[in-house]
This record gives sequence, structure tokens and C-alpha cells, in this order.
Amino acid sequence: MPNPPHHANTHTRRTVLKSTTVAAASTALLPDAASGAASPAAANPGDVVRVTLSVNGRSRVVDVEPRVTLLDALRERLGLTGTKKGCDRGECGACTVLVDGERIKSCLTLAVMRRGSEITTVEGLADGDRLHPVQAAFIRHDAFQCGGCTSGQIMSAVACVREGHTGSEAEIREWMSGNLCRCACYQNIVAAVADAAREVRR
Amino acid sequence: MNGLVGRPVERVEGHAKVTGTARYPADDPVPGALHGFLVTSTVARGEVTDIDTSAALGHPGVVAVYTHREMPRLTVPPFPYPKGFIPLQGTAIHHAGQPVAIVLAETLEQAQEAASLVQVRYRSEPPRAVIDDAGQQPYLPPPFRDRPNEFTRGDASRALAQAEVRVEAHYSSPTRHHNPIEPHATTAHWDGDRLTLHETTQGVNVTRGVVATAFGLPADRIRVLAPYLGGGFGAKGPVWPHTIVNAAAARLARRPVRLVLSRAQMFTLTGHRAEFRQHLKIGATREGRLTAIVETTTAQLTTTEESIFNESDSTSTLYTCPNVHIRQEGVRLDIATSSYMRSPETTAHFGLETALDELSWVLGVDPLELRRRNHTDIDQETGLRIASKHLLDCYTTAADAFGWSRRNPAPGATRDGDEYIGWGMATEAHTFSAIPATASVTIGLDGKAVLRIATQDIGTGTRTIICQIGADALGVPITDVHAVIGDSALPNASLSAASATIASISGPVDRAARTARDTVVGLAVADRRSPLFGVPVSDVETRHGHLIHTRDQARRDTYRAVVSRAGKPVETTGSVPNVPGHSYGVVFAEVRVHARLGAVRVTRVVTAHDMGRVMNRRTARGQVLGGVTWGIGHALMEHTVYDRATARVVNPNLSTYLVPVCADVPSVETLFVDRPDPSSTALGARGFGETPITGVPAAIGNAVYHATGRRVRDLPITQDKLL
Ligand code: FES
Ligand code: FES
Repeated sequence: MPNPPHHANTHTRRTVLKSTTVAAASTALLPDAASGAASPAAANPGDVVRVTLSVNGRSRVVDVEPRVTLLDALRERLGLTGTKKGCDRGECGACTVLVDGERIKSCLTLAVMRRGSEITTVEGLADGDRLHPVQAAFIRHDAFQCGGCTSGQIMSAVACVREGHTGSEAEIREWMSGNLCRCACYQNIVAAVADAAREVRR
Repeated sequence: MNGLVGRPVERVEGHAKVTGTARYPADDPVPGALHGFLVTSTVARGEVTDIDTSAALGHPGVVAVYTHREMPRLTVPPFPYPKGFIPLQGTAIHHAGQPVAIVLAETLEQAQEAASLVQVRYRSEPPRAVIDDAGQQPYLPPPFRDRPNEFTRGDASRALAQAEVRVEAHYSSPTRHHNPIEPHATTAHWDGDRLTLHETTQGVNVTRGVVATAFGLPADRIRVLAPYLGGGFGAKGPVWPHTIVNAAAARLARRPVRLVLSRAQMFTLTGHRAEFRQHLKIGATREGRLTAIVETTTAQLTTTEESIFNESDSTSTLYTCPNVHIRQEGVRLDIATSSYMRSPETTAHFGLETALDELSWVLGVDPLELRRRNHTDIDQETGLRIASKHLLDCYTTAADAFGWSRRNPAPGATRDGDEYIGWGMATEAHTFSAIPATASVTIGLDGKAVLRIATQDIGTGTRTIICQIGADALGVPITDVHAVIGDSALPNASLSAASATIASISGPVDRAARTARDTVVGLAVADRRSPLFGVPVSDVETRHGHLIHTRDQARRDTYRAVVSRAGKPVETTGSVPNVPGHSYGVVFAEVRVHARLGAVRVTRVVTAHDMGRVMNRRTARGQVLGGVTWGIGHALMEHTVYDRATARVVNPNLSTYLVPVCADVPSVETLFVDRPDPSSTALGARGFGETPITGVPAAIGNAVYHATGRRVRDLPITQDKLL
């Protein structure tokens, strides 16, 4: 199942890693998971599947091989390069996007598995010129340096706030630990998330 | 003057970074670009005997597979191409992970899969992966970048023999990898013999020069673009072979090609901090004054180059000591080339600052007091007085904030439940460079300023700081200043490395902007249509985009009006040399060590730094947070593991090469002395970025000793070493 229901209290710091194992395993089920346009024959290298993805509220048609990750579909096919690839193995969090409101690592899910889901990337967060409270808080608190991890941090932070995992600094640190920041803006990220959470609740 | 310099101005590129619109080199759309993927050697030493590319070529979408058989012959550039050889030029294999072929295909997935279909046969020999297995005596390599690897002052062995107190110990640290979040990426686009590179580089000009040498082209045929960089930490300072191989492949294929390294490939193709050993002997008086330091270090080298990157600057310059003998030796191993990594002196600095802690216990002198006793304002290399050094103030400020005076000196004496608590400290120091640069400023008809300089912002805040400088010099709001950087076609600047950027480019930007301001003022006072017509230029000040008569504030003009009346933009350039130097600081750390499990947590850190003038407290603070976190990683977790039988990296990923995550680090209290350095032409600022981190591993190790009475001299201090 592409989108397991959200059990807020059963998440741990390793949840994202665990759910990525599920995503990886489901590649074996590809013909089923991609039922419809992807007949078993479509799994041949070079064959493409036409997939309609709903990204940032817009319906986007993309022709991809079934093996194409959501991340590479976004970056290489849809020109949405705000989402970054840091490791392509679910370890860094740079590729974090929201799928039906839940944060996932887009390098560990296939584009064909996300038909019918609402995908939000960093490009889709702001409301016109009005930044999302998390984006604004990241600027205020200097929660980035190079910006390589920032899209992923922000998407993760949006979900973290929505999940209600912002009760204390320690809780934020725990729940934001699936996103590496090599520049190590962690302290400022924590401040930004706490601040944004206050603002969202207001 | 708006007084923006010195203020904690928000990053000017913040909006672009939080909305995902900042385009990094791998993001730039290049129409028609193929995707490249490297095939790399599975053996570490030997040669390629056969490569069968037929299956790969038969894979859908594959356009070409190039090996040493197809590649043109290229010239191996000197440093900053530190590799010593270019792959795909012959059959010899020097390390596992060395590229042996490159696959080009229409899609990334096709290139990646086809790369796995290339069949390579090797003749292989047993490799040497770690210093312990070198099977050779360490030797003294020739000077690197004109710096000899042996250094003497006074007569260290005699002074050591006569010393009242001696401390001798061996310190060591393993290979570490930079691991910026953004992988190395290069896109090569040829137009005849003109080449454009979209490159993840800390130096657009350096890349241009290296690639020009490799291809035997004049540098002006090559343009290198890096408007944003997703982290470098030294890994993107030198030029690495994938850039050259990819450009050659694009030329053969007559198509643009984009190549992004995989995370695993970054463990063998983009440098690392070399495995390091340090044998340190210190002599001192009974009061703790240093009389002799004898240091012999051993770093990993390769069979293709012999550059020592783990420098011993701190040993020779940080404290007053009349007798010093340093030998930086190396052994040649069959692994990839090392290089500079954030604060290259950190490895040797760890030994020095740990040895001083050991000396403090031997003498019964407080470790902070010991450092004060050895403080110097004299440059130990030149014998000249240092123009500006406020390390003693750093000591006092940070010690007070940390509460150091409340420390119970006895090791293992403080316990809270299952955990021992320990406090440690260390001095921080870093040598920064200053590299000649030129900036230009253009005031457009709209009165807005554009700063141009071929520097880079690798996350350190360069873009913001030069906008602050430009706005102050011109007297305009920062929103009227736009910085264009990261393009080799811009006025010349060098690497964003060696903490050189602010030291090198601040003066040129300020000069260019002041000249532009003076030019615009000159235009105004010479223009009958200006309210300032005929006013002496010395009576005109500039503020908020206005030109104002100092004694008659009602008489004023604007940049916009003056330049638009002149009918053409005002363009100026500036170039001001600066000198290299040192920045200083101190770090205090508290650790908690689990009594039974040996797990170490860093629970509190206070720093204070002297970097001359603090240009932007936010971005400076960012460097401290980053440096402290890197120091925690170095002290407690980061460790590249080699399989000693195959010389392959065992943990080439971010789930087994551990770097600190959010929950691993405490909040850091960052203090600054903030006093302009009169000897600096960078508005009183010194190079700083790499100063924090240098003392952190030792401060943590010293705190672990204080907590437990156990001295760990081999980093990282993992749990097994404390059980
Ligand atoms: S790129 Fe997806 S987690 Fe690193
Ligand atoms: S801002 Fe550079 S990796 Fe996080």
C-alpha cells in the first residue's frame, strides 16, 4: 500500500528508514502496483508508462519507465529541481516531499506508485508571494547555509509541525533527525520549527 | 554609511533557497543533455585486461560507452588537480573506485543500468589500504605548494632532553569523508572548442584553469558556472577526474552530458581527510612553559601523488615555544587521493591540544591556565608582533559563560545517575589565505547596483556579506544591491577555500563600490540639472540611495536620477590585496559518559572567537555551529572503514558513515570578541570559517578524560574504546 495510514504515536526516529524498506520491497510488485498502463510487458527496459501525477495542485503527465523514482520524475522530467538528491538511498532526507500530507523520501518510491496521490514539493509550499510559515521561519532563524538539505528540511518540518512533534526542543530534534544537514544548522532548524509551530497553531 | 557591515543581516538568497528556486549546478536545464554514469574499478591495484561494452551498448537508450581505448590523450594538470593521473588514459589501476568507463544514455536510469552491464576484467595485486599495512617505512615527501614537510626552530631534541617535564604520546585518526549533501555534478556543453561547465565547484576559475590544462585549451575558451553550491567543505575545492572525463566524453559524443556522482562514488573520487598518525613529544618547565615540541606525523599518500594535506600549523605557531621540530611523513597506499577537508590542521591540532591537557594533569595546572601561560602575541615563524590577537579575551569570555571556574578538577568525580560528567577545553586556531581578486560594480539607470565577482557562496554567506559591503560603501539599501557570482566570466577571484573568501574579496568589493559612489557624486556635482551642482564632492554624503549635501540636507539627489540623466550605467572595478593570517578561539565542552555502556553525549558547548571584525554575526555563527558539529562528528563517530584485503571502502553511504544528526548535537553558545584587525584590508575582518572545529575533538576528548579518567588518543571515541 503506497500510503500507510498515519499512526502518530508509533513513529520513531527510524520510521522513515523502515517505511523506505517497504517502498523498496514493493518494486518487486511493480506490475500490480502500477496496474493499468503498466502491463507486465512494460517492465522491459526502455518501455515507458504514461503516468499522471498531481503535483502542487496541478495535474502533470509524465512518461517514465516503471523504475523511475518519484524524485527523478520530479527533477529530471518535470523540471521541479527544488527537491534535491543527496544519496538516492533514503539516508539523507534531501528529497523529502509530502505525499497526501505525509513526509516521504521521494528517492525511495516510484513515480508509478504515486498516481492518485497529492504530491507537494518545496515549490508548492508558498501561497503566491506569501511564504509558508516554515519557509519564513527558516529565513528568520538562519536555518540553512548551503541550502543543499533545505528543501527536504522544510518539507519534513511542515509535516513535523502537522504531526504535532514540536512539544519540546528534544522532541523536534528527534523528529527532525531523518534529515541530515552537513552544514549543521540543526540548532537554527530547531528554532525555526518551534517558531513555525507556534505560528501555525495561532 | 548604513552600517550594514557587522549587522546580522538575513541571507540575501534566503527566498531562493527556501522556495527551491535557487538553481544548483545539477539543476540547470541543458537541452539535449545526455546522462553519464561512471563504471568504476572493483580492484584497488593492478590493471584492466579487458573491457566488454557490448551488453551496455545494446541497452536501450545508450548512446556511447567510452573506455581508455576511445578517450583522447589528456594532460595531467598540477594542483589543484591533486590526483596525479587521469583515469581512462591507460590500463593501470591505482585504487578501487577508479573510473574505467563512462556510459552515456538518454536517461539516468538507462545510463545507470548500462554501467552495470559493462564487463571489466582485471589483473589484480594485493593492495595496501591502511597505514598499518603499508609494509614500508614512512618517508619525508618533497615540499607541497612550496611548503617543506620538515620544519625546525631552535634545537628541539636537546631542549626536550633537558626539559624539566616531558609528555610523550601517539595520537591517530582515521580517514574521513566530506560528504556535502549535494553530490558532485558536472555538465559539459561543447560548442566547437568552447566548453561550458555547470559545475559543483568551490572555485569557478580554478576549475577553468585545470580543465584548460587537461585539454590544452586557452582558458578563455572555457566558462564555468556555479551560482549555488550545496556544500563543499573542501571536497569541491580541487578539480577531480570525473569533471575531465565527462567533458572528454561530451566532446566525443558531440552532445552535452550531465554526470552526477553517486554517494558511494564520492568516497573514492572526491578526496578525503587522510588517515593520520602523530607522535608528539613535549618538554616544559615545571610551571608549564613549553620548551620543546618534537612532532612526527604520518599521513596516507598514494602511489600517484605525495601531498600532505593534514597540516601541523598549530604545532609550530599556536604557542610560544623556542624549540620545535616537525616532520610530516607519509606512506603510499593503494587507496584514493586525499585532499583538504574543512580545517586541515584539525588532525594534528587534536594531538597538540590533547597533549597540553595531558601536560596539565602531570603538572597539576588548570588546562586553561596552562594555555594562558603559553600564550604569545609574537608570530612564531617571523618573530614579529601579531597586529591583532585577542585569544586571551576569548579564553576569559567563554570560560565565564561556561562556568569553568566551578570545575572540580578530579577525573571521574562528577556523576549524575548512570552518567559521568566531564568538562574539557581546547584552543582553536586556523591559518587563512588571502588571494588577489577584482570586483566590479555597475550602477544601472534605475539606480540599482550590481556587484560582479567570480567568487562562490558555498553556504558561508559570501553573497550576503558582499551585498552588505556594497550597500554600505554606496550608501544604498541592501535591496538595491544584487550580487552576481559563481561564473568564471566575471572579474577574477579564486577558490572559496582556506577561509580565504572574505579576506580576499571584501577589499575589492568595497573599493569598487566606493569608486562607483565617487563617480556618481562627481557626475551629480558637475550636472547643472542636479540640486548638488557645484557642491564640493567632500560635502556630499550618500544615504539610502540619496546623495545629500552634508550641511544643507534639503539639497539632495538620488543615484537613480543622477545615473539616468547621465544616460549610461556607471561601471567601476576595484582590487585590493590582503595578507594571510590566523584566527583564534576557544571551545569548552561538557560530556556525559554512560558508566556501563561508554556512550558519550556532548551536552553543552561554549565557544568564543577572535576573527577580527565580525562582518555578519548570523553567518559567522553558522560557521561556528557547523564547525562544532563537525568536531563532534570527528570526535565521536566519523570513520571511513576500508576492507584491508581489497582496499575497498566498506561504508560508502550515509547510513554507515555516520555524521551527526539533529539529535546528536547540543545547542552551542557562540561568542565573538569582534575587534577589527588593523592589518586587514578586508574592512578589519580576517578569514574565519575553518577556525571553529579545530579544537573541538580535543575539547571533547579532554572532557571524556575528565569524566572517566580514560584517555582516548585514537579518534573517533567510540563506545568500544570506553567499555
Ligand atoms: S536522496 Fe532521498 S534520502 Fe537522500
Ligand atoms: S544547509 Fe547545507 S546541508 Fe543543510
